[in-house]
Amino acid sequence: MGEEAKEEFEPKIVGFTCNWCTYAAADLAGTSRKKYPPNSRIIRLMCSARLDPMFVLKALLNGADGVFFSGCHPGECHYIKGNFYARRRIAAIRTILKQFGLDDRFKSYWISASEGEKFANTMKSLTEEVKELGPNPMRGKII
Amino acid sequence: MKGAELKHGDLEGLLKGLLEKGVVDCLIVPHRAGKSVSYMLVKDPDKIESSTSAIFAPSFSVNAANLVKGWTIKEKVGIVAKPCEIRAAVELIKLKQLDNESVLLITTDCSGAYTNQVYREHYAEIGDQADSAKIKELEDKGITIREACAICENRLADVGDIIIARGAGEDLVVAGLTEKGEGALTALELSLEDKDLERAAEKEKIAAEAKAKLASLPELNSLDALEEFLQDCIVCKNCRDVCPVCYCKECFFDQPLGDPVGGDLLNLAELRGAIGLPTGQLFYHLTRVYHVSTTCVACGACEDACPKDIPLTRFYPVITQKVQEIFKYEPGKDVDEPLPFTAYEEEELEECLR
Repeated sequence: MGEEAKEEFEPKIVGFTCNWCTYAAADLAGTSRKKYPPNSRIIRLMCSARLDPMFVLKALLNGADGVFFSGCHPGECHYIKGNFYARRRIAAIRTILKQFGLDDRFKSYWISASEGEKFANTMKSLTEEVKELGPNPMRGKII
Repeated sequence: MKGAELKHGDLEGLLKGLLEKGVVDCLIVPHRAGKSVSYMLVKDPDKIESSTSAIFAPSFSVNAANLVKGWTIKEKVGIVAKPCEIRAAVELIKLKQLDNESVLLITTDCSGAYTNQVYREHYAEIGDQADSAKIKELEDKGITIREACAICENRLADVGDIIIARGAGEDLVVAGLTEKGEGALTALELSLEDKDLERAAEKEKIAAEAKAKLASLPELNSLDALEEFLQDCIVCKNCRDVCPVCYCKECFFDQPLGDPVGGDLLNLAELRGAIGLPTGQLFYHLTRVYHVSTTCVACGACEDACPKDIPLTRFYPVITQKVQEIFKYEPGKDVDEPLPFTAYEEEELEECLR
């Protein structure tokens, strides 16, 4: 490969955030002019509980280098208990991903609407971590 | 636990009694046709006769719970089946696919079962029933029980409303585990007395053997291994259809997003560069294993049904057991225990956030 091929790997990250907390935090990070890497593509869900683990599987199997999920802190869900259910589902899908060594590429956070700075910092550390992991091995597979 | 001691010969009368006394409106019992065993749905007590030689037959045809999936009518059905099948029925009750008031779950002891094919082929050696000693003896001759049975720790009847436990020789113990079960036995005018089945040691021995067998199986622990494992899958979804706890009215994988054709396939190929065909083997199985992750009773019906002989027992029960461990949940054990995904605690599982 030529020299230009060695340029830094820019991961593609798919993010699922809840409408009331993390999506608002992302908004706040923007309006507060916090800089963070542009590698994440955020998909807004109305609630953490809308996160069907199938979304995570589909993103990872189709070659996303990283997937993250973020919602309201436990106990602060706009719909009272959506994130409690989401937490159990995440625990289950993480166990399955772990079996096949994919769990490192799936991150989950709780970020509230006022934590714009935390959101920006999280995106920075997330992007670094995924860069460290390198491209998703699924990209090279014919499945 | 209240129960009575019976002999094998009394079974016919017991089952007939359930129908005659109106304890149940119908019965699903094993039924023998020559060397083959499957199930039958009985209304007429006189037809019970053919089932007595089949009740303990070490042969697995379908999971009986799958036969009553969606049985939400008032008529009460009694199901006489192996522990894994009754466990699946309990899960279906929790999933609201079966009405607890319209079933009487009767669990029989199991020592492990052969696939239909093996049972038919070696009927001369296996016979109408087999205890663990005989199964071991046959194993040395190369006649082995299903892998799902070899790794099963729950072969002794300990779930459902009524259990039929095997003792030495012709002895049986029939006991009620629930009020419903005891009520049914009382209606049969059996003289019930307090029974304490001392089977902890036996259960431990079975569990130890099962664990050793599980540890000896090759582990699927990487993407490469999984890809190779599922390479032959034709995505016929037979494993889903025979699975007692896979119950969606319309499966995602029967819908356009889950079952892409034509232009959708081309779009996928454009996204990925190339896609394998038939498409979605990994996506289908990984999604399905998540869907059954808390309710899989490890019956192995999926493996039996696979037309490509993929040893699915090394995938489904092995992985679902790991998920069940984090919720400390044992499927089919207790009908009143909530399903893990329908309950939560305010503080738990924080280690899943990373």
